[in-house]
Amino acid sequence: MSTQPVSLSRDLTIKQVMRAELGDVDMAVWRSASGVVSAWENRCPHRGMRLSHGFVRGESLACAYHGWHYNCAGACHYIPAHPELAPPKTIKANAYNIAEASGIIWVNATGNVAPIDIPSSTVPVRSIPIACPVESALNGFSKHTHQSLLTQHTQAEIIADTPYVLALTPVGSNSVGVYIAFQHVNDSTTVAHITATDNASMNDVVALSRWANEVRDITEFSAGVSE
Amino acid sequence: MNAALEHALQDWYPVAMVGELAPGECKHSKLLGVDITVLANHAGNATESTPTITVRADGAPVDVQQAFDHWWVCLGNKPRSLFTIEEASEADRRFVPCGVVRVACSPLRAVENFLDIAHFPFVHTGVLGAEPHTEVYKYDVKVDESVDEVIATNIKFYQPQAAKSAEGGIQTEYIYRVPAPMAAVLYKTCPLKPDALDVIALFVQPLDEQTCDVWPWMALYDDTSTQAELIQFQQLIFLQDRSILENQLPKKLPLDPGQEIPTKADYTSVAYRRWLKKRGAYYGALEVHP
Ligand code: FES
Ligand SMILES: [Fe+2]
Repeated sequence: MSTQPVSLSRDLTIKQVMRAELGDVDMAVWRSASGVVSAWENRCPHRGMRLSHGFVRGESLACAYHGWHYNCAGACHYIPAHPELAPPKTIKANAYNIAEASGIIWVNATGNVAPIDIPSSTVPVRSIPIACPVESALNGFSKHTHQSLLTQHTQAEIIADTPYVLALTPVGSNSVGVYIAFQHVNDSTTVAHITATDNASMNDVVALSRWANEVRDITEFSAGVSE
Repeated sequence: MNAALEHALQDWYPVAMVGELAPGECKHSKLLGVDITVLANHAGNATESTPTITVRADGAPVDVQQAFDHWWVCLGNKPRSLFTIEEASEADRRFVPCGVVRVACSPLRAVENFLDIAHFPFVHTGVLGAEPHTEVYKYDVKVDESVDEVIATNIKFYQPQAAKSAEGGIQTEYIYRVPAPMAAVLYKTCPLKPDALDVIALFVQPLDEQTCDVWPWMALYDDTSTQAELIQFQQLIFLQDRSILENQLPKKLPLDPGQEIPTKADYTSVAYRRWLKKRGAYYGALEVHP
């Protein structure tokens, strides 16, 4: 497995927990009160509860089932059923490598994390799940460029391939540039994480978001037809 | 046939409440992966208040018996006897079959959760538990060899609203019994009659290894609440449990030590898993290594 985007930074706010999937890896991604992001196997070592149902208390994630607290390093440091007990060091959440870069949270579940550097990606647009393989999603967003924001001469360029990142650059104008990082969930599910250059207005973000819906619909339709 | 299924086939499981179906009414269900139909018979004589039932598995009629306000079925050819609950024959108690809740989880995980008190402050917040009263004090667990049941005693826990009839928080005492792999009985302090114990049981119908229908049943001292209120209270509790049970990974219960990490508060669960493993009750469990 490789480095994959799992969320826009903006969409995981302080003290929030979310679930993300990469192939067979089910994970809990959370942000502490001070802003530290962690991605863990979605299984509490105690009794297997999905940690994505847990809640953040300060710099700890507490499991929803019996409230065991894990710090940002994944170590369990508090067991409410035994408040006096110092939990053994061996009780640890299984943590993955994560990085936050270019407004995106990147995770590698099996090795070092290598985020894709997208220097001018500054405005978060949205993340959108699409029921198709990653190549179809890539193809969909390359072909169906947005008419009001991207000129007809828009260049679609794949600027990275593990994971895939697509740049849509308008030629010869100061229109908005768009970046899409593709999360390979499994062979039939992709999530497109979309950002834009800093000249994107609120209206542009709304328009790009609608465009993403259209691309999803068209892409899912043609993926369904070709099956 | 695999050994886990063969073992599970010899036990009795609830498939309907007594009186749930009107005479002639039929429902379809599943037990241990087998499709079953449950038919309420037309009364043989006018003195019978509720109809008896006929259950067919793959078309053939199977053994049925009535106990604890439910109809129980055994699909095996060497049935073990159904466990007893003495309080079921005490005439001054209220008997409350609470209906059924379907849960996408292993039947063994459903029972284990019922035996667990440490989750009360987090899952049943403000009802069966509340922070900061999270500590689980030392209690006793053993297998009663004379009846081959797991028994946990001397459990004490602070509860904000221990039962429908409770007014304010009380220190509740619990005793747990596991008389069969897919049933558990709990005896707890009765808020209205502090010298007596309320009985709450969980009867689990395994549809397959990862899906079950759970039939809670109570035998209480409570002459103030209506039947509907009592059922609603218990259903609310169980729906909170369901949100946990459907999110435990792996779906099947691990019986070998080392896959999950217990603490002292989990001694009942540890004893339950050992007891299951010893008797070969692996239906709904992860593969076991000798
Ligand atoms: S399963 Fe997480 S604290 Fe018990
Ligand atoms: Fe519970």
